[in-house]
Amino acid sequence: MTTLVNAVWAEFMKVKNSKIVLVTFGLFVFIPLMMGLMIYIVRNPDISEKLGLIAAKASLFGSADGPAFLNLINQLIATVGLIGFGFVTAWVFGREHHDKTMKDILALPVSRTMIVFAKCIVVFCWCLSLMIILFVSAVVVGYVGNIEGWSVSLISHGAVKYLIIGLLTITLCTPVAFMAGYGRGIIAALGFVIITLIMGQFLAVAGLGAFFPWAIPGLYTVPAGTPGMELYPASGVILFLTSLIGLLATIYWWKTADHH
Amino acid sequence: MDEIISTRKLSKQYKDVLAVSEMSLNVGKGEIYGFLGLNGAGKTTTIRMLLGMIKPTSGKAFIKGQEVYADNTALWKHVGYMVEVPYAYPDLTVKENLELIRRLRFISDKNAVDAIMDKLELTKYAKRRAMDLSLGNAQRLGLAKALIHNPDVLLLDEPSNGLDPSGIYEIRELLTHLAADQGVTIFISSHILNEISRFATRIGIIHEGMLLRELNKQQLDEMSNKRLLVNTRDNSITHDFLTNAGMAVSINKDGHLEISDNSAIEHPEAIATMLVQNDNPPSMLNVVEEDLESFFLRTIASKNNSI
Repeated sequence: MTTLVNAVWAEFMKVKNSKIVLVTFGLFVFIPLMMGLMIYIVRNPDISEKLGLIAAKASLFGSADGPAFLNLINQLIATVGLIGFGFVTAWVFGREHHDKTMKDILALPVSRTMIVFAKCIVVFCWCLSLMIILFVSAVVVGYVGNIEGWSVSLISHGAVKYLIIGLLTITLCTPVAFMAGYGRGIIAALGFVIITLIMGQFLAVAGLGAFFPWAIPGLYTVPAGTPGMELYPASGVILFLTSLIGLLATIYWWKTADHH
Repeated sequence: MDEIISTRKLSKQYKDVLAVSEMSLNVGKGEIYGFLGLNGAGKTTTIRMLLGMIKPTSGKAFIKGQEVYADNTALWKHVGYMVEVPYAYPDLTVKENLELIRRLRFISDKNAVDAIMDKLELTKYAKRRAMDLSLGNAQRLGLAKALIHNPDVLLLDEPSNGLDPSGIYEIRELLTHLAADQGVTIFISSHILNEISRFATRIGIIHEGMLLRELNKQQLDEMSNKRLLVNTRDNSITHDFLTNAGMAVSINKDGHLEISDNSAIEHPEAIATMLVQNDNPPSMLNVVEEDLESFFLRTIASKNNSI
């Protein structure tokens, strides 16, 4: 247990002074602010007329009420979250290659498996913080922007669904961790994140999203019964297995790959 | 001799490149083993195999009698290492970087960080971020990380890189002290041949992945070529005179006479006396000892010729 505690402490130390943390926090505050702004534009036709293209984009948000805004936030955590959490994972695992510090943590009394677990814990905490920041920002934006139907009961009901979608998205970080190792850096892992995001969107539209792990959290935001967007029990199993395989592959890579 | 580091037919093959070939070596307790080779000779690959970072294609490595493998965490408590250019977490200060290693090595003494900074003269840089360190101080930080837990075994890859002459001297003195007074076994790779020869107790020469030769300090002294260089007013007369006296004499490319007889090398004054008595006094008399670098190059050349 001491081993894991020390490894987690070390991983938090590495993150603590990094500017990347603040950048991600800032980004996850900025996104709901922009969404709130869009909804504000939709609700104020006099402003919409002056903004042209932005107004046209804002009109895509539809009814611009509380439930719509909440659904938008859920979609954000499933898409932007996928990118953001993927970036966090790529950075936590890939930085050892980028900073050329990998060799310093390979022959220590702390096992490589423990280091992987410690990194996963840090990734989880970081992503959970981002989830909370995004949600709290959205709540504040909803109140400040006086969005219609924005109430405590709506928020508390929506929070559960948001939490589930967010946690499902975090679960998909383990394959990114593997890619950061296998690709020996951040770039390959980020490429993987972008590809999975695009594939997820494409397969969801094609009606196969329920069987593609990276589309599943997004489908969770779609109203139940939407044709071609249904989730099945197998979807949960696929997502869980993907995460497990990602974790095991990461540990296997750390333990067995040649580290030059 | 207590074998602290040993390899048995250790090999590493990368596709069509044989990086290390059937290397077998032993390093005893308290020895400083200088591992010499040109760039790409296989030094770093060997050190990484000794640290479990690269899996051998065949053969085994042992440290303190335990087989080396990646997750042998008990073994790494006794080993300090620095591989190639030392890097540290750039956003963390010198002290934070060392504190991180202290925790990961389960060192209970909280003063260990201050003590090692003091030893390696890093105290005044304690609050400086690693990204702002000079190459020399980054090297010291790398050594501090390797030494913080007072290891029994040290594996160092080119530790003098980036250090100024006084820094090189300090590190040499520190390593000599650790080996001689504390029995630390040190395996140190370098391509700075003359530097290693000053304090290594044994030397292994690696070339193209193969351990060409191992020799201790005394053998090195014995095997390195010594010659007596002589110059006189008329070297051809002197050549004939010395040859008639039974000596092995040649004329080198500079036109000087070279005598390789041990008696002449050990007593050049006797040669001077002989030449004076022969009315051909020396204008130059110089015992030239081949340095390690030329010995190293000669060893490699003879290996290449034998292939």
